[in-house]
Amino acid sequence: MTTSPSDTATPTPDPLADYAAQVAEAVGGEVVPAKATVKVKVPTDRWVEALTIARDELGLVFFSWLSAVDWSNQVEVGDPPEEEVEERIELLCTVADISDGRRVTFSTDLDHDQPVVDSLIDVYPGADWHERETWEMFGVDFVGHPNLVHLYLPERFIGNPLRKSFPLLSREVKPWPGKVDVEGMPEEEEQESPTTENPGR
Amino acid sequence: MSIDHDTLRHLSEVSVAVELETPEMTLNIGPQHPSTHGVLRLVAKVDGERCYDVQPVIGYMHRGYEKLSEVRTYPQITTIINRIDWVSGYANEIPFIVAAERLMELEVPERAQYIRLILTEMARIASHLVFNASYPLELGAATPLFFALRERERVLDLLEGVTGGRFHPNFNRIGGVKPAYGAGSQTRKLAQDLPKGFLAETRQAMDRVLEVCDELEDLVAGNEIILARTKGIGTIPPEVAAAYGVSGPNLRASGVRFDLRKVEDYLPYDRFDWEVPVGENGDCWDRWWVRLQEIRQSAKIIQQAIDSIPSGPLQAKVPKVIKVPKGETYVRAENPKGEMGYYLISEGGLGPYRLKIRSASFSNISILPWLLEGVLVPDIIAIMGSLDFVLGDVDR
Repeated sequence: MTTSPSDTATPTPDPLADYAAQVAEAVGGEVVPAKATVKVKVPTDRWVEALTIARDELGLVFFSWLSAVDWSNQVEVGDPPEEEVEERIELLCTVADISDGRRVTFSTDLDHDQPVVDSLIDVYPGADWHERETWEMFGVDFVGHPNLVHLYLPERFIGNPLRKSFPLLSREVKPWPGKVDVEGMPEEEEQESPTTENPGR
Repeated sequence: MSIDHDTLRHLSEVSVAVELETPEMTLNIGPQHPSTHGVLRLVAKVDGERCYDVQPVIGYMHRGYEKLSEVRTYPQITTIINRIDWVSGYANEIPFIVAAERLMELEVPERAQYIRLILTEMARIASHLVFNASYPLELGAATPLFFALRERERVLDLLEGVTGGRFHPNFNRIGGVKPAYGAGSQTRKLAQDLPKGFLAETRQAMDRVLEVCDELEDLVAGNEIILARTKGIGTIPPEVAAAYGVSGPNLRASGVRFDLRKVEDYLPYDRFDWEVPVGENGDCWDRWWVRLQEIRQSAKIIQQAIDSIPSGPLQAKVPKVIKVPKGETYVRAENPKGEMGYYLISEGGLGPYRLKIRSASFSNISILPWLLEGVLVPDIIAIMGSLDFVLGDVDR
């Protein structure tokens, strides 16, 4: 499957890479490799400016989503990254156009313990709920957001559930039932089956 | 008492011309209101019949799928994401499966892609038929419901015949689709991939769907009350829709000819002849009209796909224990409700390191505070219904 949506024309080396380089130059960021996806990393202090350029000059008027990733080797649930990663909160925001099908995912690295970034709400009003969600799930503080209150979780909820340090509480009190139900395939008994490799799974 | 009859009659005919002082009132709609399509609560500040501030309260159905995905394996996750937008459960699976396949650099067999495409379009028809059933009902017209649900049931029966599930098919596998009878090495060669007669029956069902579209158009489009309640109500300009991330039929109703099936290549839509219907004004009426036209287009796509479906295997060769190589990608698809996408970050494990789920209804209803400012209270229902959201798709 080829991947780039709009560049159906000639099979140049990689039209998506060309476009990524253009975007990175326009907003003053750097291209990050991602599969079939244009991803550009910008410095945190240029976050709002970069997205404003994307909207006004690159025609990326459609606000798709905003969220974050908690990069950490200390994980309570799931598998930790294979290699040592720099502890940080990576903020991601995807914007797109509504004509040719171009889309760009912008990213910026925030401090792991005190993530702070300017709010995009004046550039894209649709960022409102997405920032509230990211605030409650990761603890990212959006400066300039007028109404940073819980979106999904109850008002008095403590903690940031999508942080890797947040345990899956139901598994603390009761083991994952699938662990006893599922048997491995007959021919691969020697191999570690997915259900026994990680007790959390 | 000496009030004569003339005075009394006169008094009863006098209309009140003075501005009544109405106190502000906070009106709670939901979370258990039938028109909210689930558990959505609206806190509306109203002054008389007009509301000037509406804040949706969501989260009653938050199931934490993004966290859950981090502790599940890839094949387990398809079960979860079926339940995001349950009205079109099948369509939810596609972008996630494609994202994993892209990172694994798998080539999916043609036949599997065609089956995926046919079933996705059937899910779209089923979803839009639910809209065509419920929306007129919310405006007080009960009859279209019976026409639309009858046809939807036929489509769901066919979908069930292939996948085994009406709402949660869980039919896609990484690398293809599920073979019909078991996966043992003995039965695999003999296995029939689609139920006998499925293609012929689907073709007939699509003819029926096209007929019922005409019937629905007769019933609804000629109805003066519906016209009065939807034309010019809840208008969304295209630039506002884009800035809020409103996608899918809601965006196209505002006159934007943009469909991810035309610009992304997650399924081979470019091989068929079909159009992207758009509205003119972006009001409730256009949103209804666009969805009706999309049913027709989907039926056309399905019939063409049935004509040209290739034979061949249903599964690419995949390892028994699926591990997705390190990398990240974003795959989005045109779901019945709008843009559904998955940002998948894999660290080479059995499950994703992070899975961001971009669901259409979440962004589609985030425009409600903007859209409902200054509208009349009865129009709240007309506008909300026209956005066609599902709370599972909002709360994830």
